[in-house]
Amino acid sequence: MSNNKNVIETRGLKKTYEDGGVPVEAVRGIDFTLTKGEFTAIIGPSGSGKTTFLNLMAGLDSPTDGEVELSGNLISKMSGKELSNYRRDHIGFIFQAYNLFPVLTVEENVEYIMLLQGIHKKERHERVMQILEQVELENFAHRLPSKLSGGQQQRVAVARAMVSRPALVIADEPTANLDSKTSGDLLDMMKKLNEETGMTFLFSTHDEIVMKRARKVVTIRDGLLFKSEEEK
Amino acid sequence: MGLISKLAWRNIFRQKRRTILTVLTMTGGFVLSSLSIGWMDGSYSGMILFFTNHQTGQVQVHKDGYLDNPSIYDTIDNYNSVGERISNQDNVRSWAPRIYVGALLASRDPGVSDGIYSNSAAAAVIGIDPVMEENATAFSEQIIEGEMLTVSEADSSLRATGQILLGKQLAVMLNASVGDSLVLFSQAADGSGADRKYAVRGIVSTGSNEVDRTTCYLTLADTQLLFALENRVHEIAVMTTSLREVDKVAAEISLATDSLGLSTASWKVFAKEFYAGMKADETQLKIMLAIIIGVAALGVLNTILMMVLERRREFGVMKAIGTKPKSIVRMIVLEANVMGLVSVLLGGVLSTIGLLILSKHGMILDPPLDYGGFVFREMVASITPACYWIPSLSVMITSSVVSLIPALKAAHTDAAKSLRTV
Ligand SMILES: Nc1ncnc2c1ncn2[C@@H]1O[C@H](COP(=O)(O)OP(=O)(O)OP(=O)(O)O)[C@@H](O)[C@H]1O
Ligand SMILES: [Mg+2]
Repeated sequence: MSNNKNVIETRGLKKTYEDGGVPVEAVRGIDFTLTKGEFTAIIGPSGSGKTTFLNLMAGLDSPTDGEVELSGNLISKMSGKELSNYRRDHIGFIFQAYNLFPVLTVEENVEYIMLLQGIHKKERHERVMQILEQVELENFAHRLPSKLSGGQQQRVAVARAMVSRPALVIADEPTANLDSKTSGDLLDMMKKLNEETGMTFLFSTHDEIVMKRARKVVTIRDGLLFKSEEEK
Repeated sequence: MGLISKLAWRNIFRQKRRTILTVLTMTGGFVLSSLSIGWMDGSYSGMILFFTNHQTGQVQVHKDGYLDNPSIYDTIDNYNSVGERISNQDNVRSWAPRIYVGALLASRDPGVSDGIYSNSAAAAVIGIDPVMEENATAFSEQIIEGEMLTVSEADSSLRATGQILLGKQLAVMLNASVGDSLVLFSQAADGSGADRKYAVRGIVSTGSNEVDRTTCYLTLADTQLLFALENRVHEIAVMTTSLREVDKVAAEISLATDSLGLSTASWKVFAKEFYAGMKADETQLKIMLAIIIGVAALGVLNTILMMVLERRREFGVMKAIGTKPKSIVRMIVLEANVMGLVSVLLGGVLSTIGLLILSKHGMILDPPLDYGGFVFREMVASITPACYWIPSLSVMITSSVVSLIPALKAAHTDAAKSLRTV
């Protein structure tokens, strides 16, 4: 990577799906770079390739062509196990549908990845409590997700994505299931965390409220990335 | 508790209905298998004990070749010293010498004290030592009318009236009851004629119609004299202290008597039809057990597959955030194993109750079951280790095997795909 401050970089990234024998070019060659601390939104019409592009960067999907590079790791060279470790250690996920584990409490949900990483109990606990405070859920640590509102659940998801201090937090339409007030609050909180921690955020959205809060917005159309709008 | 065990444990309580159903399916399989095994074991050990204890003994010693081709001449000589050797072996409870010969019996109709002997029947004559036979097979318990033979000095002139016991149906055929007299005709081992007059001392019911239709009993001493078989017998029946020791005892006796030109057989050999029938039933039991387990396994497979399908998205999330496939496999197999373990505990308790009931109150067989000439009136279950370890092992293996396929399926969930489907 040319620039030390680059977090992730894609070069000629392509993804073609087969849909009943018909090739669907979801991503058609994207060169993209995120630098450390960015808070960037990807927008674009439905079916334009946002999810596909995010999944490729997250190591959830493998590219048909091109390369993703994150702190010197080349995705195309990785085995399934390495990809699994890559996601665990470098990527934080926030999903549209929250996707917390229903049988685990808030605290346990947030702790999960650190357990996979084998982090010591004491440190796990400290980090969980710290991040829960940051998302203002410290009093809900022992609740099950089903006993939380949608906005609260998504804040738990934010905490889960950030607690392991990944290089990049990826959020695919994080507010799609929330009302506008809650969406705004969530984004304000994410932005505040981004400022406090310097962690890099990349999220896709259709939502005006979200776009307004992004520090940078890029557009995808028909699997191609369009020039970034100017930074705010 | 590790993360995976914690998840597995909590998932079990998630769909309580389904968990209960799965546990009950496996418990049902456990109980059915356990009861079948207990029932089978109980029936057979009951049958074997009954017919070896009351008739044949568990081990028999004959002259080489006698079992395959019985002949009056193939005798065990000096039977007392052979019996001595046998009773010196471990686990031998008692022994009884027997002579088997054939004869014609003739009787006259009652009330006609000096009339002609108008009823006749061919009979198998068994010479028994009243004391030793009583000791070995509790023979007198089979006497339904009259009395047991008594030990008397053999009357070497054979002129006085002897004692005879008749099988129940044989007595009917001869129209003879206790106290009546009849005549026995045969040929002795030395070729001379063997005839003598007898008074019916008792009527015997062994439980086997076939035996009771054809058999009469004389004292051993009497038979030896009449058939010129002094100091000789055809068979020594051996009672062991326990069925489990039979093969060992047979081997020891065989070793001790081999040099005398004798051969030793356990009930598995001399009652080989019965034994073969039992083995065939065992095969049937195994097939039945396989079916029970198979049906239970299909039920469990079905619920676990359903569970995996429902939780597809969750497995996708687990994988997306870096959970290894093998952890997912472990989690699901563990869930099934915990349910299996609960089923084993529950099944163990229920089976014990069932087995206790079946072992106390057996099934009365009406009409009685005639099994290779031996009749059984009641069947009871017995509680053996196999009633527990076979079902336990089956349930645990089944739960592992059956959950493995869905678990692998879950572990290979395509995270990206499963997350797209809301
Ligand atoms: N597994 C797949 N097989 C075939 N085609 C696919 C698959 N996944 C996505 N596509 C196609 O790829 C294209 C891009 O899809 P993608 O989900 O990335 O769009 P998106 O921008 O996220 O849309 P939305 O805003 O609706 O979420 C679409 O035409 C879609 O139909
Ligand atoms: Mg999308």
